[in-house]
Amino acid sequence: MKRRPLSLVVRLTVSIGAVITAVLLTFGWMMERSINNHFVQQDVDELNSVVQALQYLLATVPADIPADELHQRLASVVTGHRNAQYQIRTESGSLIYSTPGFNLDTFARTARPVENITIDTVESWNDHQEAFRGAVLWLESGRLEDASRLRLAVATGIDFHLHYLDSFRSYLRIVTLFACLIALLATWFAVYQGHAPIRRISREMRRIRSDQLHIRLEPQSVPAELVELTVSFNDMIGRLEDVFRRLSDFSGDIAHELRTPITNLRTQTEVALTQARSVEQYREVLYSNLEEYDRMAKMVGDMLFLAQADNQLLKPELVDIDLQSELRNLFDYFSAWAEERQVLLENAGEPVHVLGDQLMIRRALSNLLSNAIRHTPEGESVMTTLKAHSDSVRIRIKNPGPPIPEEHLNHIFERFYRLDASRQRSSEGAGLGLAITKSIIEAHGGKIRAFSTTEATTFEVQLPLKME
Amino acid sequence: MKILIVEDEVKTGDYIRQGLMESGFVVDLARTGLDGHHLALTGSYDLIVLDVMLPDVDGWRIVQSLREARSTTPVLFLTARDSVEDRVKGLELGADDYLVKPFAFSELLARVRTLLRRGAAPVFQDQLQVADLVLDIPRRRAQRHGVRINLTNKEFALLELLVRRQGEVLPRSLIASQVWDMNFDSDTNVIDVAIRRLRAKIDDDFEPKLIHTVRGMGYMLDVTQPG
Repeated sequence: MKRRPLSLVVRLTVSIGAVITAVLLTFGWMMERSINNHFVQQDVDELNSVVQALQYLLATVPADIPADELHQRLASVVTGHRNAQYQIRTESGSLIYSTPGFNLDTFARTARPVENITIDTVESWNDHQEAFRGAVLWLESGRLEDASRLRLAVATGIDFHLHYLDSFRSYLRIVTLFACLIALLATWFAVYQGHAPIRRISREMRRIRSDQLHIRLEPQSVPAELVELTVSFNDMIGRLEDVFRRLSDFSGDIAHELRTPITNLRTQTEVALTQARSVEQYREVLYSNLEEYDRMAKMVGDMLFLAQADNQLLKPELVDIDLQSELRNLFDYFSAWAEERQVLLENAGEPVHVLGDQLMIRRALSNLLSNAIRHTPEGESVMTTLKAHSDSVRIRIKNPGPPIPEEHLNHIFERFYRLDASRQRSSEGAGLGLAITKSIIEAHGGKIRAFSTTEATTFEVQLPLKME
Repeated sequence: MKILIVEDEVKTGDYIRQGLMESGFVVDLARTGLDGHHLALTGSYDLIVLDVMLPDVDGWRIVQSLREARSTTPVLFLTARDSVEDRVKGLELGADDYLVKPFAFSELLARVRTLLRRGAAPVFQDQLQVADLVLDIPRRRAQRHGVRINLTNKEFALLELLVRRQGEVLPRSLIASQVWDMNFDSDTNVIDVAIRRLRAKIDDDFEPKLIHTVRGMGYMLDVTQPG
């Protein structure tokens, strides 16, 4: 069994939620990093300012300054830098000065001296649960010592920065979590709301029942994305309505068409039985009944054929058909009848072959031809033309005669359609001939149409050379 | 000629039997598929008329058994469903012809006669004669009372059909199918016109009249008036 695809709301909520979460996490990470960098830079600046003050001091201090005053001056370098500490030793290692407080000895001894203090060269470490950032570098001894270089270790406590970062991080986490939740909820709500037009359309569709097939959805009243859906739905309902109408018309027509012969049969038989009659009279009644039966049987046969066509059960057995010789045979068949009506039959055009069901094509052409002969005035001629195109063939059957009004042309292929509504059961049969012809042509993948001018009416059949 | 009818529909069976008997055949009627199956396999018939839709043993089964038993008795099946599959199935199983209900009895009779004739050795005659009408088959010429009659090709074919099946009522659909190869009903009176023209040539100036209209059924060529 196929699993139902995930609901659209879930799909959209999950994917949009994932994106928002990723964005928020990235954003938080970047913020944390930049704050961290900022702090490091601050520390570096502080360290550098201490170093600069020392350099200045060393450069300006008189060589003969008393030790007390030198210590005082050296101590004053870190005033204003609450967390800064340093110690200076001679190149040989003897201590010149060390700020009071934390012992920098280990760091001063082990760290590698750097040229400048920058974010990249500064080091950080922990000692006795305190965190420091600092560096070791060489200083020009200036006038102070004979030795040319002094080894300076400078550091600053960064605990408060780290505390701040920690609390910022946990704060960021909570905010991100909430923001994600809110984003998910908002997405879910938005998507659900976004589907409201679909639910509305679905309610409208549900309203349409078989007796309300005229209802159409309004493509203007739905969002652009749903326009195509509503248009296709409208098309489908249109086709259904059409078929439905034709079907119910058809059953109505059948009932009507059968009612007449049944009434005739019944009346005739009843009247015949009301009194004793001669054998001749009885025979007459039976003959007359026979004719009605014949007509009904033919109509039932025709309707069955059409029903098969409606259900796509017409399966043409394809053979190569020479349309010209087919028409010639039909001319032959109709010649006596046409001659009696003083109608000439003429064929023009090239020899044309097509793949089709011989019996069906013959039947279709026969219907068109008999129709044309019937409507041609005395002394005139029915003209057929064959023409081959690259992928189809065209058969035209043209007869002179009074034009078929435009309003009828679109309907003449419908079942039981008669040009003259008042004309009942004439010699023309039940009015199924053209409907059958159309079914046959369509079962072959072809098209048929009729057009009429003041002088002549033409039926044009287009048959594909190859059926799909 | 002995014919077996297998048909469960009472009225249809009765009337077909009566019709065939009055046309000079010996007829057995089986009303169930089982009886039909038994009779078809044990009796010796010249033709079997078989309804396909039987409640117990259906027509297909009977044809199949018959062909398995190497019987060549021609089978004409009757069907109410005119679908290509049914037709193909019937003919594949070995039925010889089929008729779709509702059919005209004259059509059934004509088909029955065709099937029965098929078994007999074909008669190659150069000349056919009815009363003083003589057909010269190889030269496709007709003369009546010694007078040469000019006929078109199709007129000759029509006349030949009528003469060959002298005394049989030929329905219009059968004539259309045999002479013009039009195997469907046309809503025109083409056949009537063709017959009228043929009559004008071979009957109008001569006695006795040979071509007779059998009302509601078709045409027949015979020396004597039917019915």
